[in-house]
Amino acid sequence: MIRQVAALAMVACLLAAPAVAFPVSGDQTALPPGTDLAEEAPDQPRELFHSDAIGGHRSYLVELGDMAFSAPSLLGEVARRAGISCDTCHVNGANNAQLFVPRLSTRPGNFDVTNGLFNPKADNGILDPFTIPSLRGARDLAPYGHEGRQASLRDFVRNVIVNEFGGREPSPAILDGLVTYMLDIDFIPNPHLGPGGTLAPGATDSEKRGEALFSKPFPRDPSLNCASCHRPSAAFVDHTQHDVGSGGVFKTPTLMNADSNAPYFHDGRYDNYAQVVSYFDSFYALDLSTQDQRDLVAYLDAVGDGDHVDEPITIATRLAELTHFATVLDTALPAHDLEVIVLAVDTIGGELRDLTESFPERKDTSIAGGREERGKARLALKEAVLLLRRIELSASAGIFDAAIGELADYRKAMAAAEPLLHAAEPWSLFNPTNRVAHYAALRDVLQAAEKPSR
Amino acid sequence: MTRYLAFAALAMVVAGPANADTLDVAAEKYRPSMVEYIDHAFDGAKILRERVAAHDLAGAKQAWIAARTGWESAEVFTSGFVPDLDSKIDAWPNAQTGFHAIEAKLFGAGSTDVGDETDLLVYYLADLDIKIHDVRLNAQGLFNGVARLAYEIGSNKADGGESRYSGTSLADMRNNAAGIETAYRLIFADALVAADPALARAAQEQIVTLRTQLDVPDLTKIDPTKLRAASEGLVVTLQNAAPKLGLRAPTLEDLVE
Repeated sequence: MIRQVAALAMVACLLAAPAVAFPVSGDQTALPPGTDLAEEAPDQPRELFHSDAIGGHRSYLVELGDMAFSAPSLLGEVARRAGISCDTCHVNGANNAQLFVPRLSTRPGNFDVTNGLFNPKADNGILDPFTIPSLRGARDLAPYGHEGRQASLRDFVRNVIVNEFGGREPSPAILDGLVTYMLDIDFIPNPHLGPGGTLAPGATDSEKRGEALFSKPFPRDPSLNCASCHRPSAAFVDHTQHDVGSGGVFKTPTLMNADSNAPYFHDGRYDNYAQVVSYFDSFYALDLSTQDQRDLVAYLDAVGDGDHVDEPITIATRLAELTHFATVLDTALPAHDLEVIVLAVDTIGGELRDLTESFPERKDTSIAGGREERGKARLALKEAVLLLRRIELSASAGIFDAAIGELADYRKAMAAAEPLLHAAEPWSLFNPTNRVAHYAALRDVLQAAEKPSR
Repeated sequence: MTRYLAFAALAMVVAGPANADTLDVAAEKYRPSMVEYIDHAFDGAKILRERVAAHDLAGAKQAWIAARTGWESAEVFTSGFVPDLDSKIDAWPNAQTGFHAIEAKLFGAGSTDVGDETDLLVYYLADLDIKIHDVRLNAQGLFNGVARLAYEIGSNKADGGESRYSGTSLADMRNNAAGIETAYRLIFADALVAADPALARAAQEQIVTLRTQLDVPDLTKIDPTKLRAASEGLVVTLQNAAPKLGLRAPTLEDLVE
């Protein structure tokens, strides 16, 4: 449902001034009116698991961490009420360049985690938002955090949950899962790069000139060049913090898949590589020509690319994710691990309820036709939610054998739901036409609710 | 799911289910409440029309809220028995008719320029106010309505809920829950106590839990995890209770049969 908030906030942003805050009363939402979590995007970052890529399968801990990553209940009260999980900001383990929360963001893509909204104790008294980093390739990117203060990813994750978002102390098992999951997220393969981070054959002349410039000693300090910090053979990082005149000491960010990581610098002050290159040209007095700068940008574009970094959100991708999440129950139920069972039921159930709303209800004026198909899809998903709840109820009562049987029932129900969802797809929000119509309808409401201009 | 049905069938043989025909008679006990709710909605809408005509914004808002209270209390009935009127009266998001079309202008824009929309709301509620006296009530339909509404209450309201411009989303949910309790108590409670006291106790406790979860100062104080657990727990209990009552498991969408 939070998706709807985001969508409404998004359409609010599209309205001509004076835009109305949403909701008008301003006191009925967990997040400030105008919040845009960008969860309505038709595409999502593609997520690649190392364990899949090397021909294996995702371990229990990877699946557990992936599921917990999408669990609002892992974070504190405010986040939980707002439906925010780790995945809200780090969508599929990448970033969220469109996320904007009034009073916490100064531009889309950055976010102040040391504020009082999620945890009053975390408030440092200043608005100092950082960009949301992608976690792709995290196992090669220690230390963690923009400032690189944490050598341990486990310590870093615990700090985010407990201190920044005011969540309860996570169990060691959940932390293990989250860390294992994050360390399993691969960079998206980049056909432009060969071994050791060098450009692959077929690079353009401009890219090749950029590569050479990248390793060229700086005029004022020949011991330095771009590649001395962004080491091509080491995921373009040096695991070290530096002061590059941006207002503090920050670790070297990776350039891998970085085309998708805008805005750039710790606070997201730069929109694109051209601005970044121009800044370094000035800061290090590099005396780059216009062509040099273009060549460096071309090189960065090539280095930061990836093969299909995004993918469309489809019924199949949503169902596949839910299937993976549910696998944790195969281990947690026989182990009588109630903590994981409760977390899984809450998380998967929430996702199923969200998915249900992609098949608009009868009263939705923006969708015509397919009422029966939509109803069947919605019904199938609701039945699945209730079967999941039965698992939790049985497990909480200590009747784990029944819960295991109910998991089998849940899987049958999901298998039976799949063709119904596909049958309803033409009238669902997975259909781009309907998606546009649905949000246009929401925009109409916002316009109707606007106070007349003075 | 098949296993539940098998269990249910076994239970029916052992304890003997309540009789669906008897429950249909009991369903009539709900009609006075339903009439009261819809009368309340209809009266509110008529006052709304009057206040709108007088350009009395404060009075119109008050009348809208009063009408809405009646409507939300009656949702156990409206979603299943009069789906077409339900779609017109409670349409969203960019509705030309119904409560939400009026709400956006009245509460959002602070405008009383909702004469046409209010006329239509009154027209539809008048139609409904006649229908409720004659419509044939049946226990299965009201049982479905109770379960549907119980499930719906568990949806996330982090975005401000159904009636965000008027700020009455929490009141909507409370009125829904009150409507659930009324219908359950009047039609099903006694039969379930006789058929399966433990299930009846569970249902009663879960209705109380649901209402307790809504007993918060404002919408943002709702605990979504607990509310959803209460909502889904109640629906599961109703699913389990259905065969004991001689009913089919409640369907959570009003599909054309």
